Amino acid sequence: MANATNEDIFKQFKEHSVAEFFKKNRQMLGFSGKVRSMTIIIHEFVTNSLDAAEEAGILPEIFVQIEVLDKEGDHYRITVKDNGPGIPKTHLGKALGQMLAGTKFHRYVQQRGQQGIGAAACTMFSYLTTGQKTRAVSCHKGKKLTADISLDFKTNRPIVEEVSEEDTTESGLMVVAEYKDVRYERSDYGVYEYLRRTALANPHTSITLVEPNTEKSVFPRSVEMNPKRPTEIKPHPLGISTHDLLEFAKHNSEYKKLSLFLINTFSRFSSGKVDELRAILPGFNFDKNPSDLEWHEAEQLVKAFAGVKWIAPATDSLVPIGKDQVELSFKNIFNPELVIITERPPKVYRGGIPFMVEAGIAYGGGLINAQKKGDVMRFANRVPLLFDSSGCAITNMIKSIDWKRYDVRAFEEEPIAVLVNVVSVHVPYTSAGKQAISSEEDLEIEIKNAVMEAARSIQRYLSGKRKASDLANKKKLVSRYVSQLSGDLSSLSGEKREKIEKTLRYIIETKYSSEMGVDDEEAKDIKAAEKAKKEEAESEGDSDE
Amino acid sequence: MSSADASKKLEEIGKGMVQQINKGDGPTFETTLRTKSNTIFDESAGCLTTGSKKETRKFLSMAQARTFMQTVAIASKCKQFLKENLHTSIRGLFYQLKFTLGEDVDEDLFTEQSESNGLIEDIEVGLRIKREDLNLTTDRKGFVAGEMTILDKFGGDETIIDLAKQGRSGWSIPSDVDNGMEIKTIKAKYVLVVEKDALWQRLNEDKFWKKENCLLITPKGQSTRGTRRLLRKLADRGLPIYCLMDCDAWGWYIYWTIKTGSMNLAYLGHDFAVPEAKFLGVTMSDIKEFSFLDKLTIKAKDVDVKRAEEMLGYPWINRYPDWVRELKEVLKSRKKIEQDALQGQRLTFVGEYINQKIKNKEWLS
Repeated sequence: MANATNEDIFKQFKEHSVAEFFKKNRQMLGFSGKVRSMTIIIHEFVTNSLDAAEEAGILPEIFVQIEVLDKEGDHYRITVKDNGPGIPKTHLGKALGQMLAGTKFHRYVQQRGQQGIGAAACTMFSYLTTGQKTRAVSCHKGKKLTADISLDFKTNRPIVEEVSEEDTTESGLMVVAEYKDVRYERSDYGVYEYLRRTALANPHTSITLVEPNTEKSVFPRSVEMNPKRPTEIKPHPLGISTHDLLEFAKHNSEYKKLSLFLINTFSRFSSGKVDELRAILPGFNFDKNPSDLEWHEAEQLVKAFAGVKWIAPATDSLVPIGKDQVELSFKNIFNPELVIITERPPKVYRGGIPFMVEAGIAYGGGLINAQKKGDVMRFANRVPLLFDSSGCAITNMIKSIDWKRYDVRAFEEEPIAVLVNVVSVHVPYTSAGKQAISSEEDLEIEIKNAVMEAARSIQRYLSGKRKASDLANKKKLVSRYVSQLSGDLSSLSGEKREKIEKTLRYIIETKYSSEMGVDDEEAKDIKAAEKAKKEEAESEGDSDE
Repeated sequence: MSSADASKKLEEIGKGMVQQINKGDGPTFETTLRTKSNTIFDESAGCLTTGSKKETRKFLSMAQARTFMQTVAIASKCKQFLKENLHTSIRGLFYQLKFTLGEDVDEDLFTEQSESNGLIEDIEVGLRIKREDLNLTTDRKGFVAGEMTILDKFGGDETIIDLAKQGRSGWSIPSDVDNGMEIKTIKAKYVLVVEKDALWQRLNEDKFWKKENCLLITPKGQSTRGTRRLLRKLADRGLPIYCLMDCDAWGWYIYWTIKTGSMNLAYLGHDFAVPEAKFLGVTMSDIKEFSFLDKLTIKAKDVDVKRAEEMLGYPWINRYPDWVRELKEVLKSRKKIEQDALQGQRLTFVGEYINQKIKNKEWLS
């Protein structure tokens, strides 16, 4: 797909009629809560912009502006502008005004969004809360098209009102729309944090944010090269659900026979495998037209898939952020004392879905002054996950780690940031809001192992550092008392004070360090003995004197 | 111990530490562990004492550096007191040492008196030297009346004190009865220790000590170190020591502290304990013997019962069958009785009671 033209991408638009459903269930898309709704809108546009620019081989440059339009702070105008390829006139309406009409749904490739409900949902949200249409300005192949877009909920058809069309040398898409029922704030769940983390996971991107108070923040690009494009692969039979199978069957127009459809749509599928399935499902009609496949039949098939031995899927389709890139981003954003990034080979979950976990830990330095301690930064295919953290496999796995073992004494109070990026052609989100990763066992184990691997390096560093500073502290503490002690020893013994002091200081500097180890154990014993003695005296209530 | 001897000991410990330093080692200081587990009962001597467990305090240790410096500072200060022949209390010592370490160290040598108190005990144990010998005074509390004269060398004067001529108030026992003080003559035949000052005053008014030729002493509750040292010295001169206490937890405790020493000062047990001391009363059997007492008992409190149970567990107490019997009776009857109850019938009964008990040897050993 790396060399695909834009037209190829847009040919893959397929239609669905779900607008009406989502109108009633907008929280399923993540539009619940005012702050969250605003972040979700930004998320939808920004991920689209990133994917489009990368796919066209352009280094993404994204501009986001948020303006507040009323005194109550409930009515906003949001502008998102990118330098991507723009959208051709014929597809503009579908891209922004039709649910599940994106290019992504039918493609089995590592992408930021997995279901093309995003941009149209925003158009819908804008229309539902303000009655306004969404203004799109698309600069595509020398033409600058300005249009207002809304959607017909009943038919799930976009309504496009063309405003103007003129020549241009630029390219890119700008979307401007008004929203109510949203709120801007600079919190952990806000747009600022979302863009900051997006920049962290996408070092090849430059993002500019203008906040309602007109403050302008720039998250600059730190890598002058787009990441390698992930390759599109065929889905593996063990990685699909009944619903997936039906969807693929519905969108298939090429193959009239189910067996051929299966062999050509899924990876590792051969006629031999069809024969194995025939043995498991006697009487099942593998010659029927895939578009006539019924739910119960699809269900039978998916069940049968599990009974066949498959070669594991190819895992070379995954593209992580990359060790060097994460390190660079971490340094750019936090300026920490130490950064550890793990690089681990891809794995497979549910037997059929390739995935990969990248983990990074940043410690100390700039993080000491950071407001948030023990920061967990979750990403899925480089997209920051800000919400639903308690239900997310990443959070749960990080919490399940016994951090004390890694010399991180109180995780939530330490200057530490943990980044986890789950990369997959199909990230198992807990809901359509795409904010939490569900607890797939294979995935959880890999997340934990990746974080622990990084934590081991942190531990080595911290314990070494602690030892050195402990020793320095010990010397410093004992040295405080040398002067007084020397004076008293001098008056007790009659020896010269200067000589005692000089010798004692020399002993501390030279011999001391080797004696300390043994000393500490003894000191503990004596402390315990003193404590016991004290308690004893108290309980006895003695008043000998 | 003379002040010259004490000074010498302090000098030796200092010299020892300097030697360690000159050999290239951090200075250390050895003391005996003063914990419950290292407190033992010395059966032959009849007193509590410390066991053989030692601990070494080190200057080159995070946990101990400060206390080590403080201990040496106390030793050095005491050496100065001895040289100047001046005395002070442990509180006075604390104020002498409450100063900031100075130079670039923003820290006080001592901030609380509780810090210095324990370290004085360390020095007592480590150097085998009593605080009295380091010119540290303790509070006075006890009083004596009776046929005894004392030579008191104090402030350059030498005074003979006749304890039979102290009127209604008696002679106040000083904190140190060893240094600058000696017993000249004793006519008294035994020592009677009564727990409370009220009873002492009652018996003093009756001239009980004169009639019976005894030394009448009250520690006014728990005995001070001075009172215990005086009792030890009197016992050393062969005087029997009889104690009249309340029949309750506190009374028993005061008696056993005199007799075997306390756990806190176990390290000084041999100097302080008076194993010869007898418990004259009040006892549970007195209640049966003197019928009027039966009506004057009080219900034993939880603390009394708990104490009685504890005492039955101590090897230095349960070796005496009469004490086991007494304590079991307390646990059974759940009664206690105060020494003041002896005045319940007649004010002068106390004297008769004491005489009868001593004559018939009705005491708990």
